[in-house]
Amino acid sequence: MWLRFRILVMCLVSGGVAVSRPQTATIARLPRASRAEIIARAHSIANHSWTCGSSNLNASCSRKYHSDWKAGQRVTGIPYRWGGSDTPEQFDKKLTQGLAAGAHSRNGILSCAAGVDCSGFITQAWGLPGGHAYSTSNLREIAGKPKYNWYTDMKPGDVLNLPGSHVVLFTGYNPDGTINICEASGSKGRVVCHSATWSRFVKYIPLQYKGIDE
Amino acid sequence: MAQLALSIIFVLSALVPGLNFSRTASPAPTPCVVPLSQTLRIPVSMLETSELPGSKDVSVPTLLISSGAVDELPEGPSGFDVLEDGSFVIVDPLRKRICLFDFQGKFRKAWKTGFAADSVTVMKNGLLAVEESGTDTLHAFDRDGIAKPMEAAAITKYGEARVLSGSSGIVNRASGGGSRPLEINYDRQGSRLLSLQILADDAEGNIFVALEGTTAGDSGEEIRLSKSIRRYSSDGTLSCEVPGIPLDYYVPAVDELRVRNGKVYQLLTTKSEVNINVWDTNNQCRHVSE
Repeated sequence: MWLRFRILVMCLVSGGVAVSRPQTATIARLPRASRAEIIARAHSIANHSWTCGSSNLNASCSRKYHSDWKAGQRVTGIPYRWGGSDTPEQFDKKLTQGLAAGAHSRNGILSCAAGVDCSGFITQAWGLPGGHAYSTSNLREIAGKPKYNWYTDMKPGDVLNLPGSHVVLFTGYNPDGTINICEASGSKGRVVCHSATWSRFVKYIPLQYKGIDE
Repeated sequence: MAQLALSIIFVLSALVPGLNFSRTASPAPTPCVVPLSQTLRIPVSMLETSELPGSKDVSVPTLLISSGAVDELPEGPSGFDVLEDGSFVIVDPLRKRICLFDFQGKFRKAWKTGFAADSVTVMKNGLLAVEESGTDTLHAFDRDGIAKPMEAAAITKYGEARVLSGSSGIVNRASGGGSRPLEINYDRQGSRLLSLQILADDAEGNIFVALEGTTAGDSGEEIRLSKSIRRYSSDGTLSCEVPGIPLDYYVPAVDELRVRNGKVYQLLTTKSEVNINVWDTNNQCRHVSE
């Protein structure tokens, strides 16, 4: 009986190591970020002001493209671009080059547009290098479920994730119990920070970045 | 003599509801629950990839939604308000217009705004404050869709709410004029109060508060919660409660709850239609045993 138990434990332990080894390596390579750095990066993306030029209203690689903006319009917040993960610097450069400002999934993933989507925004805020290696579906590889009470003890820089759908950055609680978030919003067409009720996040899962420096 | 007194007390207790001669503390009164009065169903169209948002004719009677995708939420009607006669104004952001529906949910008219809006509010001056999604700018329109000076757009703030603990909160009315804060008691076994939101403060002094609570533990599988709306009278008495507000939104709402003439309205955009749920707190109320 004791021998069987030891064999079972050894199998479980060795299996666990085998499964977690690549993941451990991934986590070890994650750039470290403090919560203050994450929030500062998020706000810099949400507060980034830009002006839409007439050349940014069209997408050269898509005939169906329809812009959210008007020529000469001053906008605050990097525009929403499905599949995008541009930093403010990359976005400004692309805008100057005449790429389209933002795009939605109905336009397809456009290489001729500039901006960020929800998961691109989160990975940027966490300080991950460019590209779009992580989406809401595999964010769990670099973020774990916090052990603390989500409703009272979440910390700025954590996220609320609905796999395959959307993810938002948590920035704080309000006295009335609602929460403050930043998100790349398709309906708002850009990255915004605002308060929200919990009802919006039914079925979402709180996650904490594994590269966090507490 | 004593027997006679006891008999009188017994008879009085039976005849007068609520009269309690017992020395032991009575249990907390059960909430007076308001059932759903009606659901108005407004048809929607799904945005085709070949269709340019905002390109359709202004007289189309359906509201437009997009299906979204992986890492993109569906878009569509996310805000509404109720006019004095029970008709509705609903934003239709993908067609860049505001739509008017009558009290039965029938399309009446629409007007182009020139921008996608995610919220509309009927102001005290009768004008409509419409919030532009892309800039958060407020625009004022009259009921015919004529743009008015932006200074006319001012949305009423009903006061401030504060959660004090998992079972209590407090509400300060904006129109209170020195009146005592309203104490919110959320004493429910195994449930924690998460948030309070003031929806309305009417002319009679009734105040409507939305409450979010959860029965989930510290680390469940996902966010779980329930939402209810309470009506308190001017003296702070809990008049009634609308429990179990549906939360299965397809398009996330910006302004999903409104109160008009004692009725609570909810905008719930599903994949197949826009539902307007109505609860009448004026006369439909029943006590249920917990």
